[in-house]
Amino acid sequence: MVKRLLALLLLAAIGGIFTTLVLGYMPDAELNNTARYYADHTAADIGSANLVTAIVITYRGLDTLGEVTVLFLAAAILGLVLARGRRQVQARRELTPVGELLTTGSRVLVPLIMLLGVYVFVNGHLTPGGGFQGGAVIASGVLLLLLTDPLRQFAHTLIAAVESLAGVFYVAIGLMGLFLAGGFLDNRFLPIGTLGALFSAGAIPIIYTLIGLKVGAEFSVMLSDLSDTEAL
Amino acid sequence: MPNALYLIVAALAASFVLGLLSPKRCGIAYAITLVTLAFMAWVSAGWLWAFVVGGAQPVEILTAGALPPYAINLRMGRAEAAMTLLINLTGLLSALYLKESLFKLGHRGMAVLLVAIMAFCGIVLTRDLFNLFVFFELAAISTAGLILLSEDDRALSAGFKYLIVSQFVSTFLLIGILFAYHATGTLNIDTMATSARLLQVGAQGFTLAFFLMFIALVTELKPFPANGWALDIYESAHPAYSAIFSAAAATASLYAVDKLLLIGGASWYPMASGIGILTFLAANLFALPQSNDRRLLGYSSVAQIGLILVVLGQRDLLGESTSFIAIGLLVSHAVAKAGLYWLSGLVQKRNLIDWAALRGHPFLVFAFITFVAMLTSLPPFPGFYAKWELVRMLAGGGRLALLALILVGALIEAGYLFRWFGYILKREPPTEAVSGEVHKLVPVFVAVLAGWALGYLWGDLSGTGRHNLLLALPLVFAVGFLLLDWLPAWVKNTLAITGMVAFFFLTYTEYDPLRLIFALIFLIGGAITLLASYDAHGRRIGFYPAAMLMVAGMVMLVRAKDSFEFFAAWELLTIGSYFLILRGKHSEPHALSYLLFSLGGAFLILAGFAIAAQGVAPFPISALGQVAPSLAPWVFVLLATGFMTKTAAIGLHIWLPGAHAEAETDVSPMVSGILLKAGLFGLFVLLMTMGKQQLYGIELTHVLLWIAAFTALLGNLMAVFQEDAKRLLAYSSIGQMGYALFGLALMNHLGWLMALMFVINHYIYKSMLFLSVGGVAKRTGTREMYRMGGLIRLMPLSFIAVLIGIIAVSGVPPLSGFGGRWIFYNAILASDYRMPMVIIFLAGPVAFLYLFRLIHSIFLGQLKDELRRVKEAPFWIVLPQMLYVGLLLAFALVPGLVLRRVDSYLNLFFPEGGLHWEGFEITSDYGYWNPVAIMIVVAVIFVSLFAWLLFVNRRAQKVKQFNIVFSAERPYRPETTHFAWNFFAPYRKALGFLVQPYATNFWGTLTDILHTAGDLARRLYDGNGQSYAFHFLVFVVVVFGMGL
Amino acid sequence: MMIHLAMATGFLLILIGFYGALSNRNLLRMIVAFTIADSGVNLVIVAIGYMPGRTAPILDATVKAGDAAARVIDPVPQALVLTAIVIGVGVTALMLAYAYKLYEKKRSLDIAKFTELRG
Repeated sequence: MVKRLLALLLLAAIGGIFTTLVLGYMPDAELNNTARYYADHTAADIGSANLVTAIVITYRGLDTLGEVTVLFLAAAILGLVLARGRRQVQARRELTPVGELLTTGSRVLVPLIMLLGVYVFVNGHLTPGGGFQGGAVIASGVLLLLLTDPLRQFAHTLIAAVESLAGVFYVAIGLMGLFLAGGFLDNRFLPIGTLGALFSAGAIPIIYTLIGLKVGAEFSVMLSDLSDTEAL
Repeated sequence: MPNALYLIVAALAASFVLGLLSPKRCGIAYAITLVTLAFMAWVSAGWLWAFVVGGAQPVEILTAGALPPYAINLRMGRAEAAMTLLINLTGLLSALYLKESLFKLGHRGMAVLLVAIMAFCGIVLTRDLFNLFVFFELAAISTAGLILLSEDDRALSAGFKYLIVSQFVSTFLLIGILFAYHATGTLNIDTMATSARLLQVGAQGFTLAFFLMFIALVTELKPFPANGWALDIYESAHPAYSAIFSAAAATASLYAVDKLLLIGGASWYPMASGIGILTFLAANLFALPQSNDRRLLGYSSVAQIGLILVVLGQRDLLGESTSFIAIGLLVSHAVAKAGLYWLSGLVQKRNLIDWAALRGHPFLVFAFITFVAMLTSLPPFPGFYAKWELVRMLAGGGRLALLALILVGALIEAGYLFRWFGYILKREPPTEAVSGEVHKLVPVFVAVLAGWALGYLWGDLSGTGRHNLLLALPLVFAVGFLLLDWLPAWVKNTLAITGMVAFFFLTYTEYDPLRLIFALIFLIGGAITLLASYDAHGRRIGFYPAAMLMVAGMVMLVRAKDSFEFFAAWELLTIGSYFLILRGKHSEPHALSYLLFSLGGAFLILAGFAIAAQGVAPFPISALGQVAPSLAPWVFVLLATGFMTKTAAIGLHIWLPGAHAEAETDVSPMVSGILLKAGLFGLFVLLMTMGKQQLYGIELTHVLLWIAAFTALLGNLMAVFQEDAKRLLAYSSIGQMGYALFGLALMNHLGWLMALMFVINHYIYKSMLFLSVGGVAKRTGTREMYRMGGLIRLMPLSFIAVLIGIIAVSGVPPLSGFGGRWIFYNAILASDYRMPMVIIFLAGPVAFLYLFRLIHSIFLGQLKDELRRVKEAPFWIVLPQMLYVGLLLAFALVPGLVLRRVDSYLNLFFPEGGLHWEGFEITSDYGYWNPVAIMIVVAVIFVSLFAWLLFVNRRAQKVKQFNIVFSAERPYRPETTHFAWNFFAPYRKALGFLVQPYATNFWGTLTDILHTAGDLARRLYDGNGQSYAFHFLVFVVVVFGMGL
Repeated sequence: MMIHLAMATGFLLILIGFYGALSNRNLLRMIVAFTIADSGVNLVIVAIGYMPGRTAPILDATVKAGDAAARVIDPVPQALVLTAIVIGVGVTALMLAYAYKLYEKKRSLDIAKFTELRG
């Protein structure tokens, strides 16, 4: 009880800090210097209709590379930790069948979900969306498959290969920016094309595709690893 | 130069490629990992070379083909190059060290390691706040991953605790970054620093945002009390990971905080300093009662980082020197801590005492002591230069409270680290051997090399490089013995003696008469004492580097021109003598207390010099005379107290008896006969330059007189009640130093001359007595006097040495001791302090009591049955004694040879009251002294008395021993029936109250209190992850409250 | 006003999450609490970038490249929140892995049971 009281007290103090922040907050009337630069220059320099994408993939591309690495790490660690769990699963148990509805539904839905995922990351520079979102959509398809057959074994080697190759290519494209254009992860070593076209914004669609594949693969691996822990 | 981005790109590409490999290809994966890390280290090294040697300018690395602040940029400068090199090398060597465990984990584990190292580099390089956050998260996740993959099961809970705290941290960090972005319109650190200056003062939002960022990043430095999780990690993770966390992660986090302070500006410096110093003190205190090696190292890591945070927070004062100091401390910490963690992986069990397993491996012991010396900022390592610079500037800026706290913390740290070193050398080694795989030894070896190389580098960077200790000939000579330690002892002994004598003859023209006497004692005197060391057999590993280190320190002390050289020499001789003392069989606790008192004294000296210099560097010793009158008395108190720890003035004396008595036979004369003079030299220098000082109207030299008088009286009294012959001699040294101090404090011509006479006399007779008693103890196997007796026939030469020695000590005619007394009494008559004089007069007869015992209980009386086959002491131990006998006689006959020049030199300071030297006759204002005449008179009296004695005893009958027996009773403690046991019991009844161990009890209670406080306070860390989260939040709220 | 409400909600979520993490001893509940706090952080981030009366930062027929600066909201927080979300997922996955291993070891999810390291 004392602990909860103390927690409440501390959080009240933290809440005080937060309240000051909220009360002191005034939304900007104009874009600040950085944001205005992006609004003014993205179309001409990067060629991406989606400003957020231009920032995510190019201006702050290093963050995104790090972000992809976070997922890579999580997947790698999960894979290592749960490796033992998987072996236990191989002594298969009988599970109650999941039902006709889910099985049939997943057969219909999974291809559609995958397609949607691909669409989302390929159009990342034009519409809201991108590699992470697309990858997550793809992984949700995998989740559906896991729900219908919890013991399903995915082609781990293939997924791992997709994941790693996507990563290697991502780094390689970054380097091409360094060698052929203005700097690491500069997308302009490919023509930036016309604003709004599918094949525009230089290397951004390629990068987002790689990210989509990578994220999709990573989430799938993680989900499949975590589902194996049910054996515990 | 390769683009610094390759540091990040290479690691990422390699870790993605590792993912492609099949799990069976561990060998290839391992090769890729090592090559990548080596490449990264090479890139950093190349940059560092370009900056340091090539004088290159820092480079901005742009990404995305846009300029900052719109795109993320990185920066490679001198500091960045140094830090990434440190990080990458730690990573590379740890990877090497981790061979087995990486093979077990497979390619994915290696990828995690690579990403971790990359993330630390990224934290150092990036100039973008949010990018910094991303790298921090990468670091956190990979760190937690590595912990999760550790073999120790307990690491699991530690890692989870870490993740809990890091969730809180990243929440605060993110919110802080976003609000800071909102307030300044940028995420670029440099741009934000500029815009933050332009914000009006009332920009509440920004200050709060900065507070959140600050507290988050500072938490990465494991500040007290929000650091329980870190210690659990240090204790349980694989030592190679701990090496990475302690060296690489801490480096990165510190640099991140430094970058953040760039934005926050000077108003946040006090906060950083405050958190830092609290952490430094608390962590060191908590480390004191630890018995687990890795946890102790963890506490020490936390403390060191706290100290560096203090330095960062003093940037307003330190200015340009900040990086020299901070990086100096940082590299010392990183190299040493990584090395110690790697060493801990070689030791099988986790208690500190189990490290005794290292003892059989001289190189590992050397590695350990190198690391400990680096951590405790001893010369010649980078931390020493950094410590000197830091203290100098803090004192110059008047931040004395902070200075005092830093020194207290440093002393506690030295305490537990050197206690540990004592365990290694002195405790029973465990049955488990040290594991000696090559890939685990290589990193340790590299760390040792790096430590020494950095010592050289920092010496070079300090000032004009003139102060590079590793270029000082005496020290180089001493260090050279490390490389020669494989030679047999007699070869090394010859080398040492030759070196010392040669150095004296090369340099003797450079000293003034006073310094010449000290140089003579240190070098030639030391060489004579070393003759006794020919008695030792085998290789005697570790003896010569230690002995020569001590000698080097003493020589450099005499030759020191400015305060830096003086202090460096002081520390060197302290460390050298500590190693020597520690060699004794039962000397572990005594060596430790010696070291702690000496370091404490050294810190006082350091502070004294720093306050005197007021920021001026270099500060010549002679300038002590020109210190401002408001500071001078304080400087005097600090320096005098510091020097008096070395001369064992009463109250600060408790280390001496044990240290001198338990040392080896040939070490006792060195540390007593020679080393004590270093303290007297310091006092000479102090009084010569500063003269009389008054503090609140009290004449400080007068206080010294009182201290000296009591030291002489009580030292002698305590010597009276000893059973152990070497302890008796040790206590007698305390008394003798009291006399010398008394002479100095008289502040007149004859007083100083007499002190100098004591310097010479005490060297000769105390070295001689320690050698003879040591020789006797070696032969009889005991140092208790009542177990000896009647040895006069079996050890006649030792008897002669002791006889001559005690005549000299007691100051009766005809030997040089009398000369000392004669000058002494003249000096007292010349001064007008009556009361302390009475006390010092009292001390005289007391000396007779214990000296009498020495000859009576050991050599006279009846021979014990078990000692019938005892032989004379070994030749090499007797030889120097005989030399000393010769020296004593010579010095007694013609003291003028030495003293005349000094006498005229002293005229510089006290033109009045000198002596007149004519032929054999010496005249003072009060009378005259003719040593030769006295010698003749005494000889005549002695011979006639002896003849008369022979005549009256001509019919004496020899009585057989053991013609009476105990009357059928065997006493419970047989020694109590021996007449020589508790010889002076009646005196003890009368005067015992004077020799109660008040000082010992005082210091003992002090350390007990520290231990108990540490032990109680560390219960704060109850092991529960939620408690640690509470600690963090309390930390946030308290810091916030203080910031208001 | 709307922004302040959204932001306050975000902060409230953070506090709720923190409270949950501090008062629940079950590892899984703590992890869930942290994901709640994460959502709160993300909400705050998005709220910071919002500007009343403006539209999403995507150039199309209605928002021409020329007048984008006057029409769109700040795109930076939107980009940052994406990173924050992904990192949050990574950390959550890692914590789950920890919970799994901890449970495997002690057959318990009570954080108070994992205190063998202390002092």
